[in-house]
Amino acid sequence: MHTPFSPARLLARRSFLRVAGVTAATSALVLTGCGSDDTPTPTSTTTVISLPGDDNGVLNLAYLLEQLEAAFYQKVVDAFPTDFTAEDKAAFVDLRDHEVIHREYLKFALGNNIYDNAAPGSLVFNFSSFTLTSRAGVYAAARTLEDVGVGAYNGAAKLLSNANYLVALGKLASVEARHAAFVREQAQPGSFAAADVVGTTGLDTAKTPAEVATLLTPYLPATLDVSRLAALS
Amino acid sequence: MDFLDALARLATLDTTNTAEVLAPRRLALSRLGQAGTALLPALFTTLVTPAEAGTTQTLTRLDALKLALKLENLQNAFYSRALGLTAGGPANPTVFFGSTAVQTAIQTIQTHQSQHSTLLTTLITNSGGALDAASRYDFSGSKNGSQAALYPDVYTNLDTFLKVAQLLEDAGVRVYKGQVTALQSDNALLEAAIRMHSTEARHAAHIRTLRRQRGAVVKSWVSPSDTAITTAGTTADGVYSGEANTLQYITSNTTVTKVPFDSTLPINVGTPALSAAAILAKVAEAFDEPLEAQAAESVLQLFTY
Repeated sequence: MHTPFSPARLLARRSFLRVAGVTAATSALVLTGCGSDDTPTPTSTTTVISLPGDDNGVLNLAYLLEQLEAAFYQKVVDAFPTDFTAEDKAAFVDLRDHEVIHREYLKFALGNNIYDNAAPGSLVFNFSSFTLTSRAGVYAAARTLEDVGVGAYNGAAKLLSNANYLVALGKLASVEARHAAFVREQAQPGSFAAADVVGTTGLDTAKTPAEVATLLTPYLPATLDVSRLAALS
Repeated sequence: MDFLDALARLATLDTTNTAEVLAPRRLALSRLGQAGTALLPALFTTLVTPAEAGTTQTLTRLDALKLALKLENLQNAFYSRALGLTAGGPANPTVFFGSTAVQTAIQTIQTHQSQHSTLLTTLITNSGGALDAASRYDFSGSKNGSQAALYPDVYTNLDTFLKVAQLLEDAGVRVYKGQVTALQSDNALLEAAIRMHSTEARHAAHIRTLRRQRGAVVKSWVSPSDTAITTAGTTADGVYSGEANTLQYITSNTTVTKVPFDSTLPINVGTPALSAAAILAKVAEAFDEPLEAQAAESVLQLFTY
């Protein structure tokens, strides 16, 4: 294998403590210790998701993104805007299903290495920055999330060591790009591959894990620490 | 990563190995041609095994870049003719496209393909690679009149044009995806390819959206429910062969595990739940599959003479 990553199981347990908020942990603890005798020091109520600096970190970042997208589309499907057409509804059911499939796929691939292993799916995302009561608001929100997803996959590919994971994430990434093109076009006709995402060299957006973490901040009830992933590049 | 820095680095060397910083371009080229095999993980040994007669597998970075350039040059020519930028397209592009929205979209896509061609050309030549001779194209598929045309009205019937566009863009997504492991040893090349890959996917989705708006039964993502635009068993159908796959595997170390989409994974979350076949169709939609180099070359050859 490659980058050393000390006891995954232990880290997962710590992640649970942080994510579930059972015990608040400081980020200093998160970054330093893996020893079982560390005593958590509850000096902050902010939970931290700290991703390992290896392939599992990349897969966890993808897993988190797919959790976020699946939760978003489920929320829309649960209460469609009144001006949604039948075609809009069918598309959003597809989008929800794809993201759930991606989420479960990554969760299966990660096994016990998922960041929320002790309580999978316990993170409750915050979509209050979006206007989900109108078609325009929903498509604008979907555009934001899908573009982050495309950028995250594009930026993370080079961090992977395992070629099988590279191919696997590529299979998901282009579907995310299809989603992005579709929802962008609905939000703003003609914008499926506009200059804000595809630059003057024809290259689509790519975001570093740190940039992704910043972009995800409004939706996460936790701090996403990707410093060890960032150290890979 | 600063992409321009990476390009500058590639101008003299195609490896990050500092011990080879002073290596001449010729050496860089030879490494570009050879490294793919050496760097492939052991799990891929079956692919590295000398190919059986009649099959090829792109394994080097140079091969991967040249295949991508071949694809992009062909796409660029296809759209450039349609837009009247080069000869051989519709008599009046504006009439042909029929709406500003369609023409503008095709213009956007053509611009990206041209940019990809330029970038790939730079990446290859700056690494010391030689470019192939320019290809000659016939987008009717008649190979310059030497055989019956596959798409005789490609530049007189917008629906036919959009079908061919969908074929080429869906192919493009699969072609890049099939080459990522060959490029994995070089972060800059890999990221460039990955970012062109998702640009192709945006194009493909939008061409599909345009076709749907014109009455075709087709989703913006590749779906088993799409009305087929190719005939099973034909070369063109290679673009969709395997896309209906619902079997995914996780390969970790030496363990290969089937992902249990058909049994235990909780993916059927709708109300009411979908049939087993319907949820597996969603699985097929949720994964785009790679295309191997030989199948990709065959598709490109349909329009080349």
